[in-house]
Amino acid sequence: MNYEQIIKRYIPHYAETAVHGNIIAFEVPSSEIVAVCESLYLHHQAPLKIITAFDERQENGLFRIMYAFGLPKENLILAPYIRVGEDFPSLTPSFHEASIYERKIRTFFGLIPRCHPNPRPLILHENWPENIFPLRKDFDWRTRPEQAGGEFLFRKLGGEGIYEIPVGPVHAGIIEPGHFRFSVAGEEILLLEPRLGYSHKGSEKLFEVLPLADKLRLAERISGDSSFSYALTFCQALESLSGTVVSDRDKYLRVVFAELERLANHLGDIGAIMTDSGFNFGGAQCGRLREAVMQIKERLTGSRFLRGVAKIGGVTPVLTEDAARETSESLEALKMDFEQVMAIAENSNSLMNRLRNAGILSYAIARDHGVLGVAGKAVGLAADARVDYPYAAYHELGMEVATEKAGDVHARFSVRIREAYASIELIRQALGVVPQLAGEVGAPGLKFRRDSFAIGIVEGWRGDIVCLVATDSSGEISRVDLRDPSFLNWTALGYAGQENMVPDFPLINKSFNLSYSGNDL
Amino acid sequence: MNISEIPYWLLQIMLIPALSPFFIGVTCRIKAIMQNRRGAPVLQPYRDLRKLFQKDEVISEDASWLFRAAPYLIFAVTLVIGASIPLVTTALPNSYTGDFLVVVYLVALGTFFLALAGIDSGSAFGGFGSSREMMVAALTEGGLVLSLLTLALISKTTNLAAISENIGSLPLTSFTPIILAFISFSIALLAETCRYPFDNPATHLELTMIHEAMILEYSGKRLALMEWASANKYLIFIALGANLFFPRGIAGSLEFVPVMLALALFAGKVLLFCLAIAIIESSIAKLRIFRLPDLLFTSFVISVIAIGLVN
Repeated sequence: MNYEQIIKRYIPHYAETAVHGNIIAFEVPSSEIVAVCESLYLHHQAPLKIITAFDERQENGLFRIMYAFGLPKENLILAPYIRVGEDFPSLTPSFHEASIYERKIRTFFGLIPRCHPNPRPLILHENWPENIFPLRKDFDWRTRPEQAGGEFLFRKLGGEGIYEIPVGPVHAGIIEPGHFRFSVAGEEILLLEPRLGYSHKGSEKLFEVLPLADKLRLAERISGDSSFSYALTFCQALESLSGTVVSDRDKYLRVVFAELERLANHLGDIGAIMTDSGFNFGGAQCGRLREAVMQIKERLTGSRFLRGVAKIGGVTPVLTEDAARETSESLEALKMDFEQVMAIAENSNSLMNRLRNAGILSYAIARDHGVLGVAGKAVGLAADARVDYPYAAYHELGMEVATEKAGDVHARFSVRIREAYASIELIRQALGVVPQLAGEVGAPGLKFRRDSFAIGIVEGWRGDIVCLVATDSSGEISRVDLRDPSFLNWTALGYAGQENMVPDFPLINKSFNLSYSGNDL
Repeated sequence: MNISEIPYWLLQIMLIPALSPFFIGVTCRIKAIMQNRRGAPVLQPYRDLRKLFQKDEVISEDASWLFRAAPYLIFAVTLVIGASIPLVTTALPNSYTGDFLVVVYLVALGTFFLALAGIDSGSAFGGFGSSREMMVAALTEGGLVLSLLTLALISKTTNLAAISENIGSLPLTSFTPIILAFISFSIALLAETCRYPFDNPATHLELTMIHEAMILEYSGKRLALMEWASANKYLIFIALGANLFFPRGIAGSLEFVPVMLALALFAGKVLLFCLAIAIIESSIAKLRIFRLPDLLFTSFVISVIAIGLVN
């Protein structure tokens, strides 16, 4: 479909559209926004990618709230927006996925979502004053507000023999901070409420003040295990804003690094799932395999976590033909190694018994909460940014989205295994092409479109990472919003835990392995 | 008591507490090697104990005297049991605490106070740790008592030293009930010593713990005592398994050479047990908590069959 057909099909006739890169934006009166979004989300089944707000009171005295919906086949984003003063109509009564975004806007911008069923603050805790909204432009990032003394109310269950188990935010193991409140009868979990925000760093606000090179470094550090994916998402948004062209060679190299990151993390997770079920053999072996991938990354780039690898307009390392061949050979050996380990693991009845039927996430819950990535694929939601919104060189490489049906720990385990194999295959395909390609196109004298915005979408190893960047009238970056897949997946974790035994929860949690830092920003 | 018995009594009393950390270290080391890791040195548990004994303690405001007293009591119980069971010789007269029922219920006494201490601090982890421990302990008791009863019926005595002496002199043909009882006892051993597939001694996941959840609130010296007591219990159960079911080589007198030979053989047997436990812990996953009763009932049923086979 060309633009005109798309505009005719998806966008109300009264709206004026503006094209920003791959985004078609149009303003809608706030009274119409619910109907417009319902039509896109419910009728056309366009996946919601992000809802975010901008403080434009200096320009026109109003806030702007933008809703980005993806059109997977077209690789386009439809972005209706409204301008509002103090409150805005909530979409949550129409579709639940919007809820978490609206709560975030409520917390950070102080705009009230009308008719939202659960407008509790998100990420910021009760010690943060209720009337200070950190993402408003008139909030200086250096101010340190007074400690407030609010109270956070967890959902309560009454009844005989029901007790609460508070876990975290400090845990016995070395994991990120998060609090989980279990309401338990005996060993059965009746209600589970995760509470996050302990690693909130004010990253979105920092994006507004740091110089450009530091913005990229900050993007790499949003969630440390996804450094490359985050940097790539941010770079893609900036490349779209500045019209920078990436060379073919660098496009393939981006695939190589992104898949190495995915491979290392999946191997680590597959091992961690086995360790948490007590299957130590598999845990130790996969830990070893993950380390092998980390060392490949270090050999190729000098950084185990691929820090400093992505840059606007390409990637920094140059891959020699020898290095490409060597990497390809190491991966072939690693694949055979991995196959042997998995053959033993899949033959272990005791392991399979722990994984199957534990932590089942239903398709309906997953769909309604917009669950992404591994957890989504494990219930059969085949969304994958590499296929839906192809970037780098993915459209030239063959890949299938690995999906399962069961939605239990075993399904998430299997999705990871299949994705790990697929990653090895993708890397080897890409490495076969890289040396023949030309590098370096135009040096970047970066200039961004004024009063514009761009969205980068990258399939990180947890699911798709979305980065929305907006510029002001002088072409400076005025707002960056990053949406980690964990932001949505956390909302569904409680449902996967319900009706399971308390001692199975760590295993269920590990099978999701969500990011705290990426959620808390 | 004859003056010449004193060195052997010292050996008997000291052996369990002196060697138990070593065998914990050995088990961990074998596990590490089986998982392609290098692992900590086998003497690491001694260093951990020394470290903990030098540390300060933090005790919850809600904890009562019970929480403070429990580690001493639990540790003392393991010392008494360690001194009462046949280790290297069956010739030390021990008619008061050497009875198998006394030993089994001394173990239960330790477990009882451990569970109380877990609840006492008021933490949710201690609470569910204790509740799980009680579930496992109650179901283990049947298999444990009946498997030892099989031996008592065969040897027509409940004194452990006498059982050990008696079983060692039996012809091989009478071993069917003993092997069955041993299988039943092994399951009870794994449950009582908090090993796979019941509990994971190496886990850091609070929600999956049984034993570790109960002692989660302990620190410093009392934690050291708790850790040491659980190491003692581990060695005690292995010693029972080795010396009651396979007592060949245990000294029947108090002479230096046979006792030293028996000591070497004892160490060898314990190492075999450690190896077996390390293999189990490296090759299977932990069971789901509500499948544990199935395994414990199996232990119970096997020991009932064993008793039925005693003639």
